Amino acid sequence: MRKGQLDEMQRQIRDRIGNQMFILMSYLLLLDIGLYGFGFRWLSYPMNVFVIMIGCMCYYLARIIWQGAYAGPNAKRTGLKVVIINTVTALIAALIVWFVNNHYPAASPDDSNGAMVLFIFGGVALIIISVVSLCRRRNNKGQDD
Amino acid sequence: MVGKNLSLKSARAAKDMSQKELADVVGVTRQTINAIESGDYNPSINLCIAICKALGKTLNDLFWEDDDNA
Repeated sequence: MRKGQLDEMQRQIRDRIGNQMFILMSYLLLLDIGLYGFGFRWLSYPMNVFVIMIGCMCYYLARIIWQGAYAGPNAKRTGLKVVIINTVTALIAALIVWFVNNHYPAASPDDSNGAMVLFIFGGVALIIISVVSLCRRRNNKGQDD
Repeated sequence: MVGKNLSLKSARAAKDMSQKELADVVGVTRQTINAIESGDYNPSINLCIAICKALGKTLNDLFWEDDDNA
């Protein structure tokens, strides 16, 4: 994610979003100070500041990805097929682990949460793939790469 | 925000280039070319010149809007 590799429109988008996030974070921190002054503590210090900063950072990243300003024109694209194959493999493995745990308890004496972890991994990967393809379709405006 | 740049689109089509091919030649993303053609983005003069060189046109041909070509 080197800024120098972005083209001029991407840099402009990223600068604009970055400025907005900076202002938003400043207002949120001021609001937090104000709430603290009135005696309202929604989180203990320094977790409140940390949560505000992480929240703004996540929002910043989500917006630059949504507007296609995360990776530059020379960025190598990860093969979507590889990601999908990995996800499907994880889901199948999760099903196998779940099946073995429930039908052959003697075969798996340690009751680990492996199936749940694999399910969550596969689910999150599917969500990410959907969001990325949605962003790409939106940014391409109906035209293929 | 300006209107659609139909001159750029037709010049690109005349050279039988896709947006991706033109973007690769001038070193930007395809989305940037798309935004320029649809009038969502005003390119810098350097990018305008690069596009003109890639398409063999002048700045007037592609980026000057007069009353007839507005």
